[in-house]
Amino acid sequence: MRVDIFEERDKWTAPMLIAAGLHGLLAVAIVLWAWFGGSQGDVWGSSSTGESVNASLVSAVPLPATQPPTDNVLANDSKGLTETVPQKAVETPDAVPIPERETPKKPQPKAVTTANVKPLPQPKEPPKDNVVPYGQGGPASALSGSFTAANTKGGFNFQGSDFGVRFGWYVQQINRTVSSRWYRNEVDPSVTTVHRVYITFDIMRDGTPGNVRLSQSSGIPSLDQSAVRALQRIDTFGPLPDGYSGSKVSVEFWFDYQR
Amino acid sequence: MLKTPKPVFALLLLLVFAFMSASAQDWVHTGTNRGAPIKLAVPDFKAASGDPQTAPLNTVFNQTLWNDLDNSGVFEMVSKSFYPLQMPGTPGELKVETWGNAPVDAAMVAFGNLGVANGKVNVQGWLFDAKNAGAPQILGKQYQENATPDYARLIAHKFADEIIFRLGGGIPGIAETKLYFISSRSGHKEVWSMDYDGQGQHQLSHLNSFALSPRVSPDNSRVAFSGMTADSWQIMMYSVELGRMVSFPRFRGDNFSPAWSSDGTKFSFSSSMRDGDADIYMTDASGGGLKRMTATKGPDVSPVFNPKTNGQIAWVSGGGRTRLPQIYIMDADGSNVQQITNQEGYAVSPSWSPNGMLLAFAWFRKYGPGAPGAQDIYIMDIASRQFVQLTHDSRRNDFPSWSPDGRHIVFQSNRTGTDQIWTMLADGTHQQQITRDGKNSQPNWGFK
Amino acid sequence: MLLTLAGTCPPLEDIEVNHRKQSWLFILMTLLLAAAVTGCNKKKEAPPVPTPPPPAKPATATISVSPTSIQKGESATLTWSTENARTMTLQGQPVAASGSQTVSPSQSTDYKLVAQGDAGTPDAGANARLTVSEPPPPPPPPTRSATDDELFAQGVHDIYFDYDKYDLRSEAQSTLTQAAQAISQHPDWAIMIEGNCDERGSTEYNIGLGTNRATTAKDFLVKAGVNPGQIQTRSNGKEKAADCKDEACWQKDRNDHLSLRH
Repeated sequence: MRVDIFEERDKWTAPMLIAAGLHGLLAVAIVLWAWFGGSQGDVWGSSSTGESVNASLVSAVPLPATQPPTDNVLANDSKGLTETVPQKAVETPDAVPIPERETPKKPQPKAVTTANVKPLPQPKEPPKDNVVPYGQGGPASALSGSFTAANTKGGFNFQGSDFGVRFGWYVQQINRTVSSRWYRNEVDPSVTTVHRVYITFDIMRDGTPGNVRLSQSSGIPSLDQSAVRALQRIDTFGPLPDGYSGSKVSVEFWFDYQR
Repeated sequence: MLKTPKPVFALLLLLVFAFMSASAQDWVHTGTNRGAPIKLAVPDFKAASGDPQTAPLNTVFNQTLWNDLDNSGVFEMVSKSFYPLQMPGTPGELKVETWGNAPVDAAMVAFGNLGVANGKVNVQGWLFDAKNAGAPQILGKQYQENATPDYARLIAHKFADEIIFRLGGGIPGIAETKLYFISSRSGHKEVWSMDYDGQGQHQLSHLNSFALSPRVSPDNSRVAFSGMTADSWQIMMYSVELGRMVSFPRFRGDNFSPAWSSDGTKFSFSSSMRDGDADIYMTDASGGGLKRMTATKGPDVSPVFNPKTNGQIAWVSGGGRTRLPQIYIMDADGSNVQQITNQEGYAVSPSWSPNGMLLAFAWFRKYGPGAPGAQDIYIMDIASRQFVQLTHDSRRNDFPSWSPDGRHIVFQSNRTGTDQIWTMLADGTHQQQITRDGKNSQPNWGFK
Repeated sequence: MLLTLAGTCPPLEDIEVNHRKQSWLFILMTLLLAAAVTGCNKKKEAPPVPTPPPPAKPATATISVSPTSIQKGESATLTWSTENARTMTLQGQPVAASGSQTVSPSQSTDYKLVAQGDAGTPDAGANARLTVSEPPPPPPPPTRSATDDELFAQGVHDIYFDYDKYDLRSEAQSTLTQAAQAISQHPDWAIMIEGNCDERGSTEYNIGLGTNRATTAKDFLVKAGVNPGQIQTRSNGKEKAADCKDEACWQKDRNDHLSLRH
């Protein structure tokens, strides 16, 4: 028997080449298929997932709890948050001037006619020292009362009389009337800590308020002005009680504001 | 692919919450001291005599007094089921502590007695501060009238108004006021009047044609209205004092929708006298001194004065400026015109609140909180242009009219199937139907 | 029944005659018979004579009516006579050989008289026609205003509007153009234009809208040549509107109603 090794080698090369060629073709085919046939699977990491819902608030939103707001929804007339210098008689152009006269160029929220309303908070005086100490927001004592509304607390004091004892019902009326006229959103929304403002006024026999004045500033002009404006919006508290013999009663009212 | 779902979820919750509370605010409240209503107890007045007329008159009196106080917008009435069994008729019979403490827990108590003698009814009434046993009396009143149900009602109205005046911040109550409206129950649309609670409905005009838009003068002496004649609408005047029609000038074209200034000196109405196009005109109270206020193409109707200043007029204008009618205001000399409603839908029938700050009107918005296709009563703060929806029905509500105390609104609604007159508090609560016969519309609240 | 002609004639001579003169008698008889036949029409009644029946003579019938024309409800008189008839019928009913009758038919009638003669002779018939007419109609009333209304209804029609609008659609303009032509030909016409609205809007605003709708139509007519003095306008607002549930109904209510004032 004869074995042709040389032929075997020769034969080996050609098939090798053919195999390589076929493999190459195969590779090319795969590449081509990948190139054109391509990516039918999921695109990972897409950016089209659902976002959080954009809830759009009803545009017709109205009024806070008990009162319609005035045109100054944002108190845009504050000069500074922490100013402790007593506010000057500053009035920015778009602030609604506290009405001295009755000639509005455009509809005013309310025309208050009491003549002795001061136009602007005056530079304050030191707290009067003949005033009987106030209740510090506790339960209503005989001499003073307090109220709580959202973000606010307040109280008042009747100078030197037992008015509050005898006429608790009238005191509550004052309370109710003032709180319903005080528009919280006149105060600068960036106020976050507690501030207190003191307003003093008289109530005449027929119930009309008079002599409204800022007795101690809170340090926040917008809060001060909102308190004064609350009083200016009031036409009457109702006649003084029959059992009271004085011709008027003086009231000191404090507002605690906290957002 | 969200890697951190939690914060987003929290944000979602927050937004939803804010949305919900915002829309809850949509239903709220303006014009009344609703923040802290006064808890009031009103036991039935005690019968003070054995006269057989006493019991029926006492019943009428007690019902009327209770309704007046309950509807005033000032009180939260304490239910009678909490009251002690003994009925106080005089201050000596009343133990203040019993009423001020639980279970009654009232802040105020109104009580008294009613008796009939010699054809007269006598009523004594007191208002006590239930939390102040030391000095409880706030007021004490005495009344005497002829012994009839109408007078029993009148005394109840007067006493209720006293209480409301005292405890409602010095604003007089409306229990004695009248409403003027249009009713078709006689076969024609005529002017009628009734008490503010729907009692005593009776016919005023006898035109036998069409009568619309009654408006009473500020002194309650005359009612102006529009009447259809053979060839035109004319402003007509009924004298409440004389009980008959009185004269008013005739003008060319159609003349309708009258209004009075709150001092009774000026009068306004819509007329097409000049060129066949309805415009707003102003005259004095007798129809003289004619002045034209608008000159726009398209119907200008329904003028109403700002009752606080009489320096402004609100009215409805459509067709020319905008297609659908919208509400505008201008100064009383015709200048400074401003659009109040925002072009959305169909806004008509403005009524100006006594304090000059708010306009009530009827608005057909087609979308929004009311069902599509509904016309509802809204209140808008003029300065801020923010508004609140008061009725939320799927039918037609129209012609709001403010009460003199600024706490109530009377309007017409067809939610029962036909047009009827309804009243409500100015925050939209306490809606009550007060007419039932025939079709009733276009109510106007009289003055105190 | 046979009635002998002999009943109508004078009795014949006695037949017992000389045989000798029989032929002469025969001629005489013939002559007499001829005379009898021609002469004897007038006697109406006579008892029948039991003579051998004469040779049959043909029957005759005549009928007349007076007056010949009446109005319904009136009456007329029929008159008839017959000769040589065994049976007489009038309108199928047996009647006397001659007679008269009052009639009052409701419509025009032909009266037929039939007379039957002896067997072998032809029937005789006669007709009379009575004409019945309706009473004359009353004279027609004067038709001047009816004509105006008709002309108005033909030439002038209502026009319709879109919701909350008072301007004229194009078909409204054509309608009004046609109306202007009709109205211009009648300067004596007084026209009323009423502006109407559907029931959905507010009462007061709709009075105003109705006024504007009427005015728009009037202005268009005036521009088309109509004298403005002829036209009166008024609004009805929505006071004449129907209770509607659909747009077709509402559309009908949004109109200007044009009418002729009398």
